[in-house]
Amino acid sequence: MSMFRLPPALAHALAGVTLVAALAAPASAHAQEKSVLTVPRISQFETLDPARGFGQTETQVVQQVYSLLVSYSYLERPYKLEADLLEAMPTLSPDQLTLTFHLRRGVRFVDNPCFPGGKGREVTSDDVLYSLKRYADGNINTKSWFAMQGAVVGLDDYRAATVKAGPSADLTSRDVAGLRKVDAHTFTIRLTHPNALFLYALTMTPTSIVPHEAVQFYKERFALNPVGTGPFMATRQVDRKGVIRLVRNPDYYRSYPAVGEAGDAAKGLLKDAGKRLPLVDELEMPLIEELQPAALKFLHGDLDWRPMDRANFAKMVRRDPDGTFRLAPEFAGKFAIHAVPSLETDYLLVNMRDPVLGRNKLLRQALAAAFDAQAIVDVLWNGRGRRLNSLVPYDIPGNERETGAVARPHDLALARKLLAQAGYPDGKGLPPLTISFFQTHVAAHNEFDLLKAQLAAVGVQAKGVFMDQPTFTKAAENGNYQLASFGWEADYPDAEDFYQLLYGPNAPPASNWTGYANPAYDKAYETARFMANGPARLEQLRIMNALIAEDVPLIVLFDPLKFGITQAWVGNFKRNLLVQEHMYLSVDMARKRKGVQ
Amino acid sequence: MGAYIVRRLLQAIPTVFGVALLTFLLFNAFGPDPVRTALGNHATTEAMASLRHQWGLDKPLALQFLDFLRQIATFDYGRSFVTGDDLGTQLKDGALVSLSVTLPPFVFGGIVNIAIALFIARHRDGVVDKAARALFIAAMSVSALVWVLALQYLLAFKLDWFPINGYEGGWSAVKYLGLPWLIQLLLLMGPDIRLYRALFLADMNADWVRTARAKGAGEGRVLLRHVLPNAWIPIITQNVTTIPFLILGSFLMERFFSIPGIGNLTIDALSRGDLPILKAVTVLGALALVAFNLVNDLLYAVADPRVRLQ
Repeated sequence: MSMFRLPPALAHALAGVTLVAALAAPASAHAQEKSVLTVPRISQFETLDPARGFGQTETQVVQQVYSLLVSYSYLERPYKLEADLLEAMPTLSPDQLTLTFHLRRGVRFVDNPCFPGGKGREVTSDDVLYSLKRYADGNINTKSWFAMQGAVVGLDDYRAATVKAGPSADLTSRDVAGLRKVDAHTFTIRLTHPNALFLYALTMTPTSIVPHEAVQFYKERFALNPVGTGPFMATRQVDRKGVIRLVRNPDYYRSYPAVGEAGDAAKGLLKDAGKRLPLVDELEMPLIEELQPAALKFLHGDLDWRPMDRANFAKMVRRDPDGTFRLAPEFAGKFAIHAVPSLETDYLLVNMRDPVLGRNKLLRQALAAAFDAQAIVDVLWNGRGRRLNSLVPYDIPGNERETGAVARPHDLALARKLLAQAGYPDGKGLPPLTISFFQTHVAAHNEFDLLKAQLAAVGVQAKGVFMDQPTFTKAAENGNYQLASFGWEADYPDAEDFYQLLYGPNAPPASNWTGYANPAYDKAYETARFMANGPARLEQLRIMNALIAEDVPLIVLFDPLKFGITQAWVGNFKRNLLVQEHMYLSVDMARKRKGVQ
Repeated sequence: MGAYIVRRLLQAIPTVFGVALLTFLLFNAFGPDPVRTALGNHATTEAMASLRHQWGLDKPLALQFLDFLRQIATFDYGRSFVTGDDLGTQLKDGALVSLSVTLPPFVFGGIVNIAIALFIARHRDGVVDKAARALFIAAMSVSALVWVLALQYLLAFKLDWFPINGYEGGWSAVKYLGLPWLIQLLLLMGPDIRLYRALFLADMNADWVRTARAKGAGEGRVLLRHVLPNAWIPIITQNVTTIPFLILGSFLMERFFSIPGIGNLTIDALSRGDLPILKAVTVLGALALVAFNLVNDLLYAVADPRVRLQ
């Protein structure tokens, strides 16, 4: 879209070299006949070897080129698991320990020089077992093993053996008791205990299915030469920097979904139901790490969609009195905004090891009553969030609509009363409390000012401590804070991922940074941990909610909304926080060529 | 001169050792834990120990420092913690890209700025000189970041003269580099021209310049044959000592225009706790400074025959 029209004065100044570009750019802009979707990457990926990487930037690319056994529905909410490389969801044996999987037939790896004759071959059970063993290899996977640790019979022993054998050894031919091939398209996984969370591990990109030929052919360069069965494929080695260009995988096996949630049909989200995916011919992913160029490129029409940052939100979006969001008049019609509840909970950590806060439950309860989460959402976030009553965000099963959780209300009279009972009437005698932040920029200072004012309303003084993320992490792990502003984004859409934040044995370096240790809580957590969602599990979640409300090891605040913005020529966009939307999107190239009108 | 070079190179050894020691101590004492940074929310004691072992961070600090010294001596910095890429290749590629960003405006700007400085020095205290001084002081008062943001918005987004950002290898890079070059030219103008002007003015009233004028030399000849050559030494100092920073890249330009040079590489390494890259960039930067200081001294002898290197 970008035209290079240099004015005469500058053309003289920059001489002939710029002429080369002036001639080249328009040609490439108009010769394009294929439909191209352009979405930014906000940071460099580390590796495209699925088993080695586990970050958002890796996921963004890996999901385009590889396939998983199980994925999430694009349109349905709450987020729902669905078969991907499988013919159907796996079946569970009566003892709930053995899962049987049937692979789709005829799915082929993309053509690549790593295969004999350069022709991709069919995916079989052997590929799945090979990929799972690579995932378990301690020399390869240092980042995402937590998702399957202790879950599959024999797999932990296999991991230990790989570590002992060293990085140069390949033990993938070694037998693992819990992984069994039945035939070319059927295999089983034997679990160590009934575990309703196990399938979530198979939705994580490190468990993507890779061909052994590619690993052996490319060796270290496998990190930049993906060979998979995903909707797109790389035609040459991928560059970490610059623009990643992927083309449609002509043999991709999935179709656009025919089922969505209520209202999706009216929004036109089902008009492409049944069409072969992906809906565009090419996918471009330029690396743009700074906000301004990304915003300008979007407004210029060079990007088809991007997440909306706070600064552009304030400029481009208006909030109606009923709480709905719309684009400011000058942007309406040109673009579309999309707001969805995040899978994140923002809260204040309370350091239970702190001599002032840790030993005074009434004081912690008083603070919980003094903080006003709704004001934080309204004042600091322009309404872009919803107050939470439990740790679990709205779009995850086990949330407050299911458990009926009710947080301690914002009640200044109650806060004063509790403060007096705690031994600090009107805050007298209580030293100023420190509130730590993992950022140093102005937003953190604004947040502190509001929290400080809320505490001051009941006579409590506060000091702000602003740190970069690594320093904050060290401080939190070592218990060097009193209150700290923090949040947790779901690794998978299950309540367990949030309740584990207060599980006693999860002491640092694991995720329980509060130092909270309550045997009753731990028991409820252990009971609920691997259970399937249902009344029995909800009962355990309620027990934990009650203990959190009583002991206040953290103060739950809100679930932020996530915003994205798309060009008017992009179709089928529905923000999905668990799968990349790219393969479902259509692009009206005629409109795109006209640019932003 | 050979003995001089050898002696200077030997003197560089304790300097580089000091830089290496300081770098190592600073990163270990105050830097983020790269293992924790890499593992993030999913750190477990077992995972941290495993990765620490894999990266050699479980060795005694003295051994780690010896490894670091060996890397410096052999120019083999190993591999990035984060990507596993060979650092030699990354640094070489990054340095070439950084030079493509910084060298053209450095060279072109150097020539143009000397010419402008000579011109305004010749018109000292005239309208042109006063206007130029006011303009340059105003321009220098605005931070580089503001220049980048404003010109990217105005020239690329509003006027569509340049791509907003991006980079491609080979000749295609040129279309993306136009705006970063222009911004750097503008950023260099103020400080360079003010410095050169001051240097030229200091010589314009010197005895030999008066003598040249008295002998009937034209103003152009006076400036080019008598003023400019006498200002070469400070100009060389200023420019040659800048060269290592050209190789290290322009953090702002590379970041805001998504150019994959050393500057961007360093920022990414900082945010990801990629210690091998940070250590390599720091030490190579120090080595480059030492080397170009030596070049600087050698060029003094070329620029001024009175200088003797002993």
